[in-house]
Amino acid sequence: MNIVIRELQATRKSLIIWCVGVLFMVFAGMGKYAGMTGTGQTINELMAEMPESLQAIMGSGGFDLTKAIGYYGLLFLYLAMMATIHAVMLGANIVSKEERDKTAEFLLVKPISRGKVITLKLTASLINLVTFNLVTLVSSIVMVQRYAQGEAVSGDIGLLMIGMFFLQLLFLVVGTAIAAIIKRPKRAASISTGVLLLTFILSIAINLNDKLGILKFITPFKYYEAEQILNEGLDPAYLTISIILITVLTAITYQSYKKKDLNI
Amino acid sequence: MSVIEISNLTKLYGNSRGISDVSFNVEEGEIFGFIGPNGAGKSTTIRTLLSLIYPTSGSAKIFGKDVVKYAPEIKRDIGYLPSEVFYYDNMKVIDLLKYSASFYKKDCTRRIKELSEILELDLNRKIEDLSLGNKKKVGIVQGLLHEPKLIILDEPTSGLDPLMQQKFFDLLEKENKKGVTILFSSHILSEVQRLCDRVAIIKEGKIVQVDRISTLKENNYKKFKIETKTEVDFRAFDVAGVNQIEIKANTISFIFRGNINSILKKISEIEIANLWIEEPTLEEIFMHFYKKEE
Repeated sequence: MNIVIRELQATRKSLIIWCVGVLFMVFAGMGKYAGMTGTGQTINELMAEMPESLQAIMGSGGFDLTKAIGYYGLLFLYLAMMATIHAVMLGANIVSKEERDKTAEFLLVKPISRGKVITLKLTASLINLVTFNLVTLVSSIVMVQRYAQGEAVSGDIGLLMIGMFFLQLLFLVVGTAIAAIIKRPKRAASISTGVLLLTFILSIAINLNDKLGILKFITPFKYYEAEQILNEGLDPAYLTISIILITVLTAITYQSYKKKDLNI
Repeated sequence: MSVIEISNLTKLYGNSRGISDVSFNVEEGEIFGFIGPNGAGKSTTIRTLLSLIYPTSGSAKIFGKDVVKYAPEIKRDIGYLPSEVFYYDNMKVIDLLKYSASFYKKDCTRRIKELSEILELDLNRKIEDLSLGNKKKVGIVQGLLHEPKLIILDEPTSGLDPLMQQKFFDLLEKENKKGVTILFSSHILSEVQRLCDRVAIIKEGKIVQVDRISTLKENNYKKFKIETKTEVDFRAFDVAGVNQIEIKANTISFIFRGNINSILKKISEIEIANLWIEEPTLEEIFMHFYKKEE
């Protein structure tokens, strides 16, 4: 428990900053929608006239932008992006920092197994992720509801947030696994965010080019696209892949960290 | 009973040297010195004992238990002071000590107070604002607060002023009287000589010698200084057992190990003005180990 409390104290500041960031994103994003409502159908026409590649990059494909929830679907990509950056950096740092800051010589000479250290650090990370997710969920429901003109939106937003939570979990363990494997702790965060950006760019590339469709299983961003979640709900196949990936990466984190020569 | 048993411990780091075939035992209740120059493998050995890194081959036991397999269990009774102390930012001394104590299933509050009073450590300062010496004190308190049965110290005196060093040594001796075993790694011989019962000398990753401090000093090592009336051909002293020979005008000095009679016969062959035969310091014996193979 002591490690969980310590980690929560250590991550508190950055969590607050991230939450303020995501709040700003939701409020400012939906605020823009308020400015658009007057234009009626024209926004959809405008979007449809844009080159497809631009639409792909913005992720605006099949949303009805006259509806608040449709507009929120567009915004979701950016919220998910923030959530995953937060998760992957948290994962990489929470594991690598003991080596990076040379506190491993303090913590890992205590009567505690490395496995337990990872368990407690993952617990603290989960609390961080859940907080981030809840802040996004609540602020989204409040803001979208405001513009939804009586339409029920919390169900849809709930589904999107479940998707985002899987993305968060996935990238958290991407971060922890990389931090556990690599020998130079200082590079854990940069390599992890590199992986994140790569998968993100790949998901856009797939949107741009149908021939890359087969690669959609490599990038988690394709697993949880707002368009698909809003129209068809969460795909059980992608959920299964996510759960398998999370399990494997968690196992890699534990195994690699247990066997690792600490670099101090 | 041996508290630490190291057998054929080898740790290789890619190309660079780690330690090879290190073996020695530390007995219960002794203060054991572990000495060698920087980079000889002292920290590598200690980190392997604490399973911060794992051996390439060989094994080590503490309290009769394998250090890798039973690491968490063993560590309940180990106190460790690393050569450089690094702690979490933004923590007060007392918070860190409480955090440290929270890993042991006992109440350490009294001990924290006691130790910080002895070392004159202000518990309410922020760690990042502390000087090197004060950080070291935090390390000492942190290493001793759970009353460990084995204390492992890696170059513990750096940063402490002589007065504090004295207090720290007194503290260690007091612990030792209670039956605590201490492994004391250092490259400063005088402190090892002063504190330790036995010593292991490590050089380039290999143990050169394990001996009692007293034996090491008595082991027929004598320091000779001879003043002659006329200039002498120093080759007269080029015999087995003579080391570190130094010649300055009419004085010759060297360390001798072997049959004292044979060297005295040599000396009697020449006309001498003055003669000193002294116990060499550990430093001088130590230099002997390091120069031997050059």
